[in-house]
Amino acid sequence: MSEMSATYLLEATGVAKHYGKFAAVSLVDLKVRPNTVHSVIGPNGAGKTTLFHVLTGTTAVTSGRILFDGHDVTREPDHRRVQRGIARSFQVTSLFPSLPVRENLRLAAQGVAPAQAFDGWHEPVGKRSCAETVAQVLHKVGLESFGSALAGNLSHGQQRRLEVGMALAAHPKLILLDEPTSGMGIDDIDGMKRLIRSLRDEHTVVFIEHNMDIVMDISDTVTVMQQGRVLAEGLPHEIRSDDRVRAAYLGNMITGGKA
Amino acid sequence: MNIYLLQVINGIGIGMLYFLLAVGLSIVFGLLRFVNFAHGAFYLLGAYFCYQLTRWGLSFWVALVLVPLAVGAIGWLTEKLMLRHVYATAHEYHILVTVGLALAVQELVILQWGPLGDSVAVPDMLQGVVMWGSFVYPKYRLFVIEFTAVLAVLLWWVLEGTRLGSAVRAGSESTEMVSLLGVNVFRIFSLTFGLGAATAALAGVLAAPIRGAEPFMGIEALGVAFVIVVVGGMGSFSGALLGGLLIGIVQSVMSTLWPEGARLMIYVAMAAVLLLRPHGLLGRKE
Amino acid sequence: MNAVSKHLHFILAAGVVAAMPLLMQSGSLASEVLIFALAAMGCNLLLGYTGLLSFGQGIFFGLGSYTIALLLTRWPLPMPLALALAIAMGAAGAAVVGWVSIRQKGTYFVMLTLAFAQMFYFIAYTATGLTGGDNGLLDIPRPGIAVLGRTLWPLVTPWQFYGFVATLFLVAFWLLLRITRSTFGRTLLAVRDNEERAAAIGYDLKLLKLQAFVISGAVTGLAGALHAMMTGIAPLANAEYHTSEMILVMTVIGGTGNLFASVLGSAFYLLLGDWLSQLWPRWLLLLGLALIAVSLWLQRGLWGLGETLWNLGRDRLGRWRAPVAAAPAGGTGRAPGQGGQA
Repeated sequence: MSEMSATYLLEATGVAKHYGKFAAVSLVDLKVRPNTVHSVIGPNGAGKTTLFHVLTGTTAVTSGRILFDGHDVTREPDHRRVQRGIARSFQVTSLFPSLPVRENLRLAAQGVAPAQAFDGWHEPVGKRSCAETVAQVLHKVGLESFGSALAGNLSHGQQRRLEVGMALAAHPKLILLDEPTSGMGIDDIDGMKRLIRSLRDEHTVVFIEHNMDIVMDISDTVTVMQQGRVLAEGLPHEIRSDDRVRAAYLGNMITGGKA
Repeated sequence: MNIYLLQVINGIGIGMLYFLLAVGLSIVFGLLRFVNFAHGAFYLLGAYFCYQLTRWGLSFWVALVLVPLAVGAIGWLTEKLMLRHVYATAHEYHILVTVGLALAVQELVILQWGPLGDSVAVPDMLQGVVMWGSFVYPKYRLFVIEFTAVLAVLLWWVLEGTRLGSAVRAGSESTEMVSLLGVNVFRIFSLTFGLGAATAALAGVLAAPIRGAEPFMGIEALGVAFVIVVVGGMGSFSGALLGGLLIGIVQSVMSTLWPEGARLMIYVAMAAVLLLRPHGLLGRKE
Repeated sequence: MNAVSKHLHFILAAGVVAAMPLLMQSGSLASEVLIFALAAMGCNLLLGYTGLLSFGQGIFFGLGSYTIALLLTRWPLPMPLALALAIAMGAAGAAVVGWVSIRQKGTYFVMLTLAFAQMFYFIAYTATGLTGGDNGLLDIPRPGIAVLGRTLWPLVTPWQFYGFVATLFLVAFWLLLRITRSTFGRTLLAVRDNEERAAAIGYDLKLLKLQAFVISGAVTGLAGALHAMMTGIAPLANAEYHTSEMILVMTVIGGTGNLFASVLGSAFYLLLGDWLSQLWPRWLLLLGLALIAVSLWLQRGLWGLGETLWNLGRDRLGRWRAPVAAAPAGGTGRAPGQGGQA
C-alpha cells in the first residue's frame, strides 16, 4: 500500500447520475481514507444506492470523476473495477441460489483472476479452487457449517452474511456494503456490526445503513445525503448534533422524503 | 396505372392486415411481459374456422363475427387454464409453453383439414374490381383496408376510452399498482390475451379469401408479427400500426424490385432495431 | 463425487452407444439419434448451463451441412479435413450470431436469434449458387478414412457409418463433459443463475457467453455435417425454423440439467417419432403436448423424471428393508436444473 500516493483510497469528484431528466445523484464529492469505516446515510431516495452503482461501475456516471488508488476508473465497467480491488454487496440479496455456499464464494474469489473463468479444461479443484480464501471467508462471516448448503436455502440473515462474504472473497481494498443489515433480526445485527468493525484492519469499508445505532457506533466518518446531494459530512457525533441532518433525515424517518 | 402506386396501395392493404395481426401480440407483451409464440396459431385458426364455416354454408360475414369470438374464447381459456401457471417461472418457459401450443394447434389443424390447404371464396358482394377513372383495384382488398381502419379506431377507443382499456394500459406500467387499486389483474390478463387471440383470428379471416388457409401460415405469420412488433415497439398500439404499414409497404414495393430480398430485409430491419433501439420506434423505454 | 458417479454420465452415454446396435435394426436411425444428441447438447450448453434460449441452432446445423457438402463435392478435400472445417464454420457462425445477439438480454436476445435464423434461411434460399436454394445440395459422398490411398475404415453401410458417428459422439461427449465440469462450465452456471452478480464479482459476461456460443456452434456444426453425410443431402430444411424448434424441443424434454439428458431427449424424440409416425402421422401433436407438460410441470425433463422415480424407488426399498428406522432419503439438496451435477 503506497502511503506516498493518495491520502484517499477513493476520491469521487462532481459525480452525477441522471436518468433522463431525473437527477438521482448530482455533484457529489466523496473522499474515503484507507482503512477507515465510512458510512453513507440519508432518507430513502437520497441517491445512496445509485452512488454505489456508479462507484462500482454497475452503471456509468453522467458526469464527474472517480479516482481509486490513484487510478481514474470513471469509464471502467464493473468487472474491471473488481480486479482493481473494489467489491460490493447488494441491498437486495443477490446470490447464486442454485449453487452451494462454498461455490458462491469460490466464484467471488475467482472473480479477481477472471481469465481462469475461460478455462474449459481444468476443474476448479486443488490450487484452482481458492479453498483457502473460501475457508477464511466462511469463518469470518460465521457460515462454516453451511458450506455445502445451497445459497437459496439459507435464512435471510445468513444470506445477508453471505452477501458480505461475497465481497470479502475478492480480497478487495475497498468494500461497499449496501444496507448489510436490512431485514435482519437483533442477534444477527449485532454480529454484523462486529463483522464490519473487524474489517477495518485489512480493508476500507463504505456502507449504506439505516440503523443509526451501528452507524454512530462504528463509523469513522459519516456522509449524509439528501435528494442526490451531500448534505453534511463529519465525525459521528458531529453529524448526530447537526440540525440540518436532524431536520432532513431523522425528522423524516417515516416518510423518508423531502425536507 | 403506375405500378409503384399500385404496390403502395397493396402495401397499405397488407400493412393493415399486418397491424391487425401484430396488435394483439404487442399488447399482450406490453401487459403480460409475455412473448406469445402461439400467436400465429390463433391466426391459423381464424383462417381455418372461416373456411369451415363457409363450407357449412354460412356466409363470410357470419364468419367475420363468429370466428374472432370463438378464437378469442379459446385464447381466454388458454391463458386461464395453462399460461397462468408459468408466470412465476423463467421467461424461457413462457416461450416454450407457447411453442408447444403452436405445434399442437398446427398438428390439430392438419389432422382435421389435411396438410394441403384450402381456398376460401371472396364474398359475393365484394367480388370484382372498383373502377375510378384509371384506378382499378380489387373490391375485396379495398374492403380490407376500410374494415381494418374502422377496427383500428374501434380498438383505439377500447384502449383509451373504456375502463378495461385503462386497466390494460395501467397494467402495462405496473401490475402491482393496478392490483393494489383493487382491479383483478388476472381477469384482465385473460381478457387481454383473449382479445389478442381474437384480433389475430380476425386477421386470419380477412386474409383467407386472399391467400387461402394453409397449415404453415401460422409460422409464417408469427415471424412477420414479431418483426412488426419489434420495429413498432413492443406494447405499443400505434407502434403496431406504424410498424405494420411500414413493413407492408416496404415488402410490397420490394416484391417488384427484388422479391427474395423483401423477406430478408424485414428480418434485417428487425435485428437492426433490436440492436440499436430495442424498444422500437414507438415503444416505451424499459 | 465418487468414481462411479463422476463417470456415470459417460458410462450411460457409452451404454446407449453400445445398446443401439443390439436393439435396433436401422443403423441410420441410430446414427440420427447420436447426431441430434450432439445438436441437443450444443443447445443445452446455451440453455441449461448459460441460461440462453437460442432459436438459432438451425443456423449452425445448416452451416455444418452446407460446408461438408461443398467440401466433399465441389472443392474436394480429404474427409477428416472437410469435417474439421465444417465444425469451424459452425463455430464461426455462432461467433457472429452470438457476438451480436448477446448485446441484448432476455426476450430481446431470444428475438434476435430468431431474426438471425430467418435471415440465414432467406440467404440460404437465395444464394442458390452456394446452397442449391430450395433443392439443397445433393449427392454428398461418404468417403471412408483413407491413408495413402488405402481405405482403412469404409463408411459404406449404415452400421459402418454408425461406428464412425459413435466414435465422434463419444469424443465430443467426453470433451463437453469436461467443459461443463471445468472452471468455465461452473462460471456459466453462475451467469445463468444471476447475471448481474456474476458481472459484479468480476466476470466479463459478453466474452463468457460468446465462448459458450462458439462451443455450441462447433458441436452443432459437427452434427449438421454428419447428418449431411448420412443422408447424402444438405437440404434447405436444415436452416428452417422447424429444425431449431426440434433441437430445442429435444433439449427441453430431455432435461436441461445435464448433458446425458440431451441424449435422452434426442432418443425420445427420434425413436418415438419413428415408431409413432408409422401408426399416426400427426404424432407431433403429442410432442407439442409433451413440451407444454414439461414446461408447466416437469421442468427437469425426462432426466428429472427418471431421477424422481429412482429416488422414490430407493426410498421404497429402504423402507422395505428397514421399516422402523427408515427416514426418506430424498432431498439431497439438488436444486432444479442441477440434475446429476452437484
